[in-house]
Formats: sequence, structure tokens, C-alpha cells
Amino acid sequence: MATRAGALSYLAWRALVAHPLRRLFRRRGTGLERFRAAYVAEGLGPTTPEDRAIGEAASACVACGLCELGCELAVAAPAVRALGLHAAFRLYSRSVAELPLATSALAACAGCDGCDALCPTGVPISRIVRHLRAKVLGEGAAPAQGDRG
Amino acid sequence: MDYDVIILGGGANGTGTARDCAMRGLRVLLLEKADFGVGASGNSSGMIHGGIRYMLSDRHVTALACRDSGYIQRIAPHLLFRIPFLMPFTTRAAGATLRDRAAWYATEVYVGTYDLFQPLKRGKPSTRLSADELYRLEPGLRPGLRGAVTLDEWGIDAFRLCALNALSARAHGAELRTWTAAREILAEGGRVRGVRFRDALTGEEGEARAPVVFNATGAWSPALARRSGAAVPMRPGKGVHLTLDRRYSNYGVILSAVDGRQMFVMPHESESIVGTTDDDYYGDPDDLEATNDEVEYLVEGAASLLPGVRNARITRAWCGLRTTIYAYGPNEDALSREHQLHDGAAYGRAGLLSLVGGKLASYRAQAEEATDRIVALLGRAPVPCRTHEEPLPGGDEVPDPAALARAHPVAAPVAARLVYRHGGRAREILRLLEEDPRLGLVLCRDEGILAAEVVHCVRHEQVRRLQDLRRRCRLAVGACAGLDCARVAAQLAARELGWSPEQVRAELADLLDAGWRERRPILDGAQLVQEELVRGAHAAAGAPW
Amino acid sequence: MVSPRAVAADVLVVGGGMAGAIAALAAREAGARVVLARRAPGATALSSGAIGVAPDPLALPGEPLRAAREPLEAARRLARLRPDHPYAVLGERLGALPEALAFAARVLAPLLAPPLERPRFLATPFGTAVPAALCQRSQAAGDLLAVDGALVVAGLRGHLGLDAALAAAGLERYRARGGPRAFAVEVDPGLGEVGLFRPHELARALEPPGAAEALGRAIRAALPAGAGAALVPPVLGLRPEARVPERVAAAAGIPVAELLADVPSVPGVRLQAALEAALAAAGVEVVQGALQGAGPGKPAMVGADEITAPRWVLATGRFVGGGVVRRGTLREPVLGLPVQAAEGREAGVDLAARPAASLTGAARSGPQPLLSAGLRVDALLRPLDGRGRPAADGLFAAGAVLGGHEQASDGTGLGVAILTGYLAGRAAARPGGGE
Repeated sequence: MATRAGALSYLAWRALVAHPLRRLFRRRGTGLERFRAAYVAEGLGPTTPEDRAIGEAASACVACGLCELGCELAVAAPAVRALGLHAAFRLYSRSVAELPLATSALAACAGCDGCDALCPTGVPISRIVRHLRAKVLGEGAAPAQGDRG
Repeated sequence: MDYDVIILGGGANGTGTARDCAMRGLRVLLLEKADFGVGASGNSSGMIHGGIRYMLSDRHVTALACRDSGYIQRIAPHLLFRIPFLMPFTTRAAGATLRDRAAWYATEVYVGTYDLFQPLKRGKPSTRLSADELYRLEPGLRPGLRGAVTLDEWGIDAFRLCALNALSARAHGAELRTWTAAREILAEGGRVRGVRFRDALTGEEGEARAPVVFNATGAWSPALARRSGAAVPMRPGKGVHLTLDRRYSNYGVILSAVDGRQMFVMPHESESIVGTTDDDYYGDPDDLEATNDEVEYLVEGAASLLPGVRNARITRAWCGLRTTIYAYGPNEDALSREHQLHDGAAYGRAGLLSLVGGKLASYRAQAEEATDRIVALLGRAPVPCRTHEEPLPGGDEVPDPAALARAHPVAAPVAARLVYRHGGRAREILRLLEEDPRLGLVLCRDEGILAAEVVHCVRHEQVRRLQDLRRRCRLAVGACAGLDCARVAAQLAARELGWSPEQVRAELADLLDAGWRERRPILDGAQLVQEELVRGAHAAAGAPW
Repeated sequence: MVSPRAVAADVLVVGGGMAGAIAALAAREAGARVVLARRAPGATALSSGAIGVAPDPLALPGEPLRAAREPLEAARRLARLRPDHPYAVLGERLGALPEALAFAARVLAPLLAPPLERPRFLATPFGTAVPAALCQRSQAAGDLLAVDGALVVAGLRGHLGLDAALAAAGLERYRARGGPRAFAVEVDPGLGEVGLFRPHELARALEPPGAAEALGRAIRAALPAGAGAALVPPVLGLRPEARVPERVAAAAGIPVAELLADVPSVPGVRLQAALEAALAAAGVEVVQGALQGAGPGKPAMVGADEITAPRWVLATGRFVGGGVVRRGTLREPVLGLPVQAAEGREAGVDLAARPAASLTGAARSGPQPLLSAGLRVDALLRPLDGRGRPAADGLFAAGAVLGGHEQASDGTGLGVAILTGYLAGRAAARPGGGE
């Protein structure tokens, strides 16, 4: 009982004295700025509505592999080809913190759009890949060929 | 006597105590009726939190819990990932009442006080967010929220945590038997003298003798105790979680369910999970499935703050039984409310120690406390605990995935998942590719499972059944439900373990059954499409049907 | 905005998998003008590429392979045991099965081997044998009853997809039932490092001149004495016209066959390609895109085409094909027909709204109402409304969109597609439809 009383009175002291003082003197910037400073550098950025829409579209993928029939990934290293581009969007749109690791696979996409017509569940694969490319390589990185936006 | 102590149960408490006992020089036998972590540990929310709620009763306990969270980061740095939480302020109707404002301030102070302990676990300080700031961080929240405070915690792969403790115990000389159930605790003249057990795979029965038996079987304790003339009072509670196919957000959101209970939606590895229910459960712990209303309850609760969750792809519903102490008096301290060690001397079973309750996040401290008691029961001189200092297997190093991908024929995202699960041992796994380049095959593109990882787990991580790989390397637990990985993994395991064609098919059927139990209550949308495809594919390849 | 191209036809087939293609080809052969609207490759491309009609439900576990009933008899037995199955719903029309199979074998002749009186027993990677009423020529030589001598399972060096020793050990178990002896060997396909190849990449790599021949010679070099046929992983070419199986067999000097495959399946892709080739050869107009329309007799939009046809065949598949979807409730998305047929007592108008947990059984391998959900039809394959009456004039349905069967649990998927596609296509070709 003594520890509990101690715990509660400590919290009361924090509420009445320590916390207001901390708010007055120890804060720099807005809450959002502090939050971003703490997390964005670790890859833990916010999910935008566009990201979420892309994620929902990618969710229809059933990993059947038919899209690979229309994907050459000709210039990719064997390890990247072994993973497959369609794997790229499955894997990478799931864990944004690891997106930079996908650079080589995303860069290997020729932008031919051949995959889209092969998908039985209607996943807009080339749109997803373009979105991820833009995220990881910068906005101008989308290939011109076959890119209808 | 064959052993100094026999440990029953391969969850976090059992494996953690086995590790501690073995590191302190005791001869240890651990019996697990299925596989490491299959009960409450692996089916928990998978968090190593700092015990924020103990601040209401004893802040020294919070300090201890945060310090232990820091220890777990030290011994398994690869296995933890940071989860920032948003705790939005809601109001019942339009306009905040004075009472609402007071509650928000109290929350802010409370979390702000917790910040003082955060450095112990490398946590980030909390912030208060205005409504506008909150919506910029999570635009999917329903309108009308007034702001939030943030909270920083850690997540973990609880199955691997159990397996790593077990492997470390084995490396220190402990003997581990999975798929081996304790049938009865043997006693003589008021003292335990051992355990009668049965190997579920071979049918072999046997007896092992030891002066101390540590019972960490969780929800299976009451049945075992009844068979052995002992009593372990406890209250089992069923907790159901849902998994979403991808990270809904990088931030967890704490929210209230329809009945006012606290719930969460949070990122976990490359997925999100929604949890949890908490209902008394007195049924058979081996026959646990999520029901339709539990799934609905979780979806409705999550959608009350994040309406878009209704559009997300739910990949499975899984459940565990947490054991809580049956009843507690007002004088016990906060930590013992969470767990208790029962001494069997009271009912003529001296030497039987039973653990009830406990938290995954405090498993190491609970194991240390249990080991202290075991050492005392054995009448040995105290030996200092070192489980917070020595890294778990693979925890000595966290290699850079990009560097691994440059040095080995493997894509960087695959290397990243490998490092996450295996830490420094990812190097050993990648070395397998030098002898056999075929093992560079990516079996699962969702989880980045390499054929080499399957071979490594089968060789070195006490895999006896194919379904053990669900827990070692997340085989067939993801959205694709074992479409690509299951058959080839079965073939690889068969080669390592010498399975006959009949055994391979039985093991594959068992693996697919385990996934089916978790998906059956949630089949909808894309996951139903996936199920049709997976069933057809495995039937076509000759998997048993 | 381009104004729509108006297309008039006698029959509009919706869906381009096995059921849709057979329906279109059957209607075309009966003289109808046929348009086929397809969205994307579906479940047929993801199948093993062999065609099961019905595993005999009354076969005894150890009975000799030669005792296997002809497909029609096996289908009749299945129909008696499963009253919700399309075979049962068809009643006496089930008797058209041999005719339908012969039709499919004829229109897909370059790819499929002619049917036998009995099923062929084809090997899986686990060394089990699956009965198939029809199969590709590249699979036929692996029929356990056709092998003259020992069956050699040839794993490809570097390729993890097939564990030849495991498959051979499993196939050895069939010796007591009249199967051949089985051996495992490993051959080097001569393609360099193939360990990381996916099946379709391997298949493509075997197409150029010399590649298939090199594999055949490697098989020949590895053959033990007394070998009667060789089984290889299902990677013998993506394009049927590359004739990879024939070239490999010629160089190997013995018959060479592919094992059955799971997803992604090279033989399944070949089957889909053969369907498309047959449609083109028969003069069926294929339009690509999602269909929006109100039913037979009313214009339907597919991409920039406006198609009007008095009779429709709905062959949209089940969940993979998109013919049935579930978002909280089960729905048929093209025409909004009620989803009310399934295996088991859950069938009925309430099926669609019931929770997933109550539409599935705890035993995975048993019949599952949810996984077998689809349209209810009468014996003429006309979809029924909630009161059991035909939902629309001139409307027929075929294949997996029909409820009451599931490939995984009863092995009848493509057999149902061929039979119901054939019957629906022929019925739709007749003005007035039906009888």
C-alpha cells in the first residue's frame, strides 16, 4: 500500500509541478517536429493517402507469378531476378523502412507494363512499381517507355 | 538423479529459465509438448514494453521493466523493432468537456513521466500532438479527434525469442525435447522425483528423474496438475489477434473497443496486427480457434478510429491463452500480480515450482527469479545470473543487409529479413550458398525466406516437424499461405531429416492444416482468392487432400 | 472519347478460361457468331495443365491401377455421393461427358493427347499418381500404365523444384498396384547456373535450338538399363510451337514426360495459350476488358466495344477468375445473380450473407461450402434466382462460377469446365436456347 500511495503522490507532483515546468522550459519546436525528428530518420515516416491506396491495390496480389511471364528484368543481377519484380512490390510496399534496399530491383524495371494484362486479380502492377520507384529513386525516375501516368 | 531440474513448457518462461539454469551450471531437461512458443508466448502481441502501467502502483517496477527491456535489446538486438504509438484523444460528443481535458492532461503527464524511464530501453520521449499534427501523421483517422500523445515501445518476434533462448540453453548443455509431453509429475514421500513423458512423434514413453520440476506450461498447467494430484489455480484468458497483410502504418494506434476496452492497431515486422480480445476461457487449450464474433469485435473496434481498416486484407486470426492469477490479495506488489511462483510443498509436492501469469516483456526477469528459487530448492550456493549480459544466438552482431547483399548472391531485401531473424548468424546461412548455390532460391517473396534459411533452421534450430518452420522462419504464415514455399520447404526438410514420401506428405498436410485453422474465420476478399489458389495448387502437386 | 464500336453476335461468352473457351468453340462449331469477353488469364493458366474429370470416390486404396473406371462411370459415382455437384445437377446430361472430352481433345489437338478409355495416372512431385481424363502430350508418356520398362525421374542439377529421389521413392509404392519400377537420376541441363531460375525462365531457356536437345542427350547419358520413360520437372517450353517435349524425347531416345506442377505452372500457361490459339483459329472474336452489362439481349460494354447478343454464357470462374467475390457477403459481380449453391447443407439463399467461420469446416481437406460457393443452375445450366426460377432468358453458366464443386477437394475442376462449357455453348448456339 505504501508503494502505491508513493506512486500516486509522485504522479500528482509530476502533474502539478514538474510537467508544467517541463512544458515551459524544455520544449523545442512543435510536437510534430519532435516526432518527425525522432522517427523519420529510422524509416518510420507517416503513411500518406497515396501510399495507402497503393497498398490496398497491391493487397489483391495472390502471388501466382503469372506477371513474371511478361517481365524480363533483363538487366538485373541474378539475385535480383531471382526475387522477381512482382516480389519487389509485394515485399517492399509492406515494410517501408526497407524500401531503399529495393533500389536495384526497382531500377531494373523497364517500365514495359507487360505485367498488368497478365494479372488475374487486376493488380495495377506497373502503377505500383512506378510509385515505389518515385519514392526510392526520386520523382523523375519513372521510365518514359510505356509510362502513361 | 538424471537432472537437477526438469522444466515443463517451451514458452518464453520455460526456455528462458532453461537458459538461465543451464548458464548457472545446472543439468537441465526441458519438455515441450509441441514446439517452442506455441502457447501464450508466440501468440502474444509480441511486445517488449516497459511496464508503463506499473507507474500507478510502484514506479520502481516500471524502472525494472524498462531496464529489462534494455537487456533484451542488448542480448537480441536484431530481433527488436521500434513501434511509435499514437494515443488519440477522443470526445464523446462534439466539444471537449472539462473532464475530457483533465483526462488528456493526466495522460500527457503519465506518458511524460514514463519518459524518465525511456533511456533505460533506448526509448524516444513522448510528444503531444495537436489535432492538425495528428492527422498529418495518420490521415486515416476518423474526423473529430482533438490531438494525441505519443508513446515509444518495442516489438519482437516472440517465437524466435523462445527458440533463441532454447538454443542458447542447449549450447550451455541443457537437453531439449520438443513434441514431448509430460504425462505426469511423479512424486514420492511428499517430494517430486521426476516426470513421465511421451514423445508425440515416435510414441516413445519414458521417465526422467530430478529433484526439482519447474512447471511453465501456462494454460496447460491445470490439466497436468490434475493428473499429478497437484493444484495450480489460475484464470485462463483467450486473446485473439488479427494480422493485416502489410504495415497499415508505421505507427501503432491505441483505441477503444465498442465495450470501452483498450485495443490497438500496430505495425509488427512487415505486417500490422489488431488486438486483442480478453475473455475467460475454460475449454480445451488444444482446441482454440477465433470465432466470428471475436473477429467482428476486433474489426469494429479498429474501424471506430481507423475506418480504412475495413478495406485492409486480413490474412489470419490467431489466439493464445494468457494465464492470470486466479485471485490476488491487496497486499501483493504489482509485479507479483502479474506472475506468481507456486511451491508445491503446500500439497505434498515439495520440489515442484509452478509459474502462473507473467508478461513476455519480463520473461528474463521472471526466469531469473525462478532460477534463483530452483537453485535454492536444490540447496546450492547462489550463482549470479548472466542472462542479461551474454547475447542470445546471433545477437552478438547485426550485419548490414546491403553489405551482405554485395558479398553474397542475394537481394538486399532478402538479406534484411534474414538479418532480422538471425542476426549475426545470417552470415552462416549465406555461407551455405557457397557450397550449394541452389540454396539461394527465394522460397517466399513476402518474408524473404531463402532455401538456405530453411536448411539452416532444420539443421541447427531443433526442427522436428515441418510446422516448426512456421515459427523459426515464418514459413507459410504470410498472406500467400504457403503457395510457393510449402512444397519446396517440405522437400528440403525431408532431405535433411530423412523423411519417407508418406512422412513428407503428412508433414505438409499438418503445415497446411495449421494455416487453415487461422485463416478459416477471416476468409474474405483477396484472402479468399488466395485460399482457392493455394488449395488448388497443393492438390495439383499431390499434397494430401 | 472514341465512340463505341457496336458488335452484334449470337452468343456472348464472358470469361476466357477453359469453360469459356470450350463454350465459345462449341457454339461456334454449331454455327453461331460468338464474341468472347475476357478480363485476364485466370485459374486455367494456374492449373496443373492436366484435366481431371473425377477421381473415383469408391476406388479402394490399394486397388490395381488397371481397375480404374472410365471417367464417365467415376463421374456418375461422384454425382451419387454429392447431390450439389454440377455432375449431379446435370442429371442425364452427364452422359455427354465422353463427347465433351473428345471435343476438347479435338479442338486442342496439337497440345492435348487423345483420351483413352481409362484415366491416365500422372505423377506429382511427391511421387503420388493423379488420375487425369485428358492431359497434354508432354504429360502422357508419364502415365504409369503406359511406361514400358522402368520410370526414371530426372532431376535437373541446380533446380530445387523437384526432389527426384523423393518422387521416385513415392512412385515405387505403386508397383504393388501395377506401376513401373522407379529410379531417380540427376542430369545437367547444360544451361549454366539454373539454381535461381523460376520454372518459366527454365522453360524459356529450353526453347532455343540446341537447348532441348542438350537436355535430351544428358538424360540419355544418365539412363539406367531397362529405362522405359523419363519424367522431368514441368518446364518443357512455354510456347507449344517450340516443340520442346518432342525435341527432348528425340534426343533422349525414350519417351520423356513432365511431372504435374503447382503454381506457377508452365503446362497451365501452355494450356491457356492453346485455348487462345483455338479461339483465333475458329473465328471467335475475343475482346479484352471488364464487362459491364445487364444481361442477354441488352448491350454490354467491354472496353470500347458495345456487344449485343441474345444469349450469354457466364464462364467467369470463381474467386481467382472473379466470377464470385466476397466482401462481407458473397456476390456474383457481373449480373448480380444470387450465390446460393455450395457443397453441404449451408447451400441456399442465405449462403451469401453467412460468416466465413460458419461456411467452413475445421477439417481442411473436407468439402468447404465457402470454397465451393457459386451459382445454382438447372439441368440446362440456366442460373436460378432466389426462388429457383431461371434468372434471365438466354442466360447460361459454365465452369467454376457454378457452385457445388471445388477442384481442390474433389479434383473435378477442369472436367466440370469442359462438360458444362460444351453443353452451355451448344445450348446457347440454338435460338431460343435450351432444349
